[in-house]
Amino acid sequence: MLAALRDAAKKLLDEKRAVLVIGYADRAGRPALFASKPEDCGRLVYDASCRQNLAAYLGKPEVRARMPVAIVAPPAVLRSIVVLTAESQVATGQVLALAVDQDSFLGTFDAAAAAELLRAKYPALGPAPDLLERVQGLSKKSAAERAAFWAEEFTKCTRCYACRAACPGCYCTRCIVEKNAPQWVSTAALGHGNYTWNVMRAFHQSGRCTLCGACEAACPQGLPLMTLNALLDREALEEFDARPGYDPQAKPFIGSWDAQDDHSYMR
Amino acid sequence: MKTIETSRLTDLAQALSAAGYRVVAPVAEGGVVRLREWTKGLEIALEAVPVNSMKDFLFPRSEVVARFALQEEGGFTPATNERSTPKTVVLGARPCDAAALPALDAVFNWDYRDGAYNARREAVTIMSLACAKADEHCFCTSVGGAPDGIAGADAILRPADGGKRLVFEPLTEKGRALIPAAAGTLAEGTAATQTPVAPPRRFDPEAVGRWLAANFDSPFWKEASLACLGCGACAYACPVCHCFDLQDESDRRECRRLRNWDSCGFGLFTLHASGHNPRPDQSARWRQRVTHKFSIYPQRFKTLACTGCGRCSRLCQAGMAIAETCQRIEALGR
Repeated sequence: MLAALRDAAKKLLDEKRAVLVIGYADRAGRPALFASKPEDCGRLVYDASCRQNLAAYLGKPEVRARMPVAIVAPPAVLRSIVVLTAESQVATGQVLALAVDQDSFLGTFDAAAAAELLRAKYPALGPAPDLLERVQGLSKKSAAERAAFWAEEFTKCTRCYACRAACPGCYCTRCIVEKNAPQWVSTAALGHGNYTWNVMRAFHQSGRCTLCGACEAACPQGLPLMTLNALLDREALEEFDARPGYDPQAKPFIGSWDAQDDHSYMR
Repeated sequence: MKTIETSRLTDLAQALSAAGYRVVAPVAEGGVVRLREWTKGLEIALEAVPVNSMKDFLFPRSEVVARFALQEEGGFTPATNERSTPKTVVLGARPCDAAALPALDAVFNWDYRDGAYNARREAVTIMSLACAKADEHCFCTSVGGAPDGIAGADAILRPADGGKRLVFEPLTEKGRALIPAAAGTLAEGTAATQTPVAPPRRFDPEAVGRWLAANFDSPFWKEASLACLGCGACAYACPVCHCFDLQDESDRRECRRLRNWDSCGFGLFTLHASGHNPRPDQSARWRQRVTHKFSIYPQRFKTLACTGCGRCSRLCQAGMAIAETCQRIEALGR
């Protein structure tokens, strides 16, 4: 599997179809490897300990200056590439995915082909069983208990924004939490500002989150951010039939309106 | 010699609490060990290096530094801002945490004597815990520290008798004051202290500082910073990082001037109102971080702004490791 991945990456650089390959390095912690020379590709690896969503680098100006780029992409990252394409954040032909899963290297794909691959091979990606269990466990609690649970968790947040940095979907050049004229969210890493920030971050991801888990893995304080993301993913799927990352032409439901939408809440 | 059985640490915390100290100690919650205010019933977790550093209790992540009462007809008047500085003991700080105090004292008493920091500093007693082991991120020995270093500490606990016991060694007046407060939980006795396991020395900070001072425009920074995603995890976990941002927040009656932690990793760091930023990209910001710690700080304060605790690299999602950067810099300077 690794030989096939490395060969494909090398080929992209050799043929100048990509000027940069971003993958996971064969070092402890599996940090990102930025390969611009074919010989660098020999250090690419992929295994279950790779936690970063490398599509997050597609928003970084230093990377955007080095397009076209290829990124090593397990299924959730493929979905991120499709979402970013649907949201006009990456231009056609600028990003190639070196698709991988736990067992094999699947090939090199652009966003449209990645969406096809996902529809064929992973048609209904959702929360992993342990995450589903967390969501179900929390859903059994009363609204007051859930609010208390999150209030307690959010007190630990230091507002380092590692979650935001980890997420390919968080690509705003100026996050609303940093706007101060007017100020929407308290900047203090305390009570209600923390609550607002964390809930708002998750809401902005609803119907866009690909459940990659990078935000939760990045959180130094160990906040169960994926529980919140998965709750919103469930709502987006059940209420709006939204399963993000399968169609590069899809309109994000949170930013679109349809006459067929449920209006019963309007009086 | 004063000793305590490791299993009786919570009794010591209880005694200190009863003696009027706020006790801060490492506690495991949901798989994460963090320094927090200890209350009865909480177990003290000595194994892992806590995710947060002790600076949280001297320079909190957010604090109100001034208040103004807003008047209905417009205008405002300064209001009193009560500052809480309880007498505190940090039980089980790491030597690399305590070693940050001289560096923090220097900056908070430099061109301006910071009242909030100094009030807390005077009220705190540091009882550090010598490290029995090091992980791959620890590098205290590269920056002048040691797993049983005493810089900044008022007392130190040294593991003894295979970890079953701790030897208590007071180092300052504040440290000695803990003995009566401990009310018998520290017993007279003897124990064989263990030789601490020191992490290998990885680089020479002086050589790093020399290269930094001479290579501001090196292409090294662009390549070395490519993985950085620009969050504040490293700076917030760092026991020495002390950059802050002032923000005014108000409701209809009151305006609060907040001092929040800031991080040189953020794109908004040092962004001017004009739109100009002297550190316009991540490479300039990563250079700022490394240069501040290993060149600017030693030039100005004769001390490094890094204690080798390794938190920044332990927590970094992108694998940015400052010790590795320093090793590479030292190699560049050869």
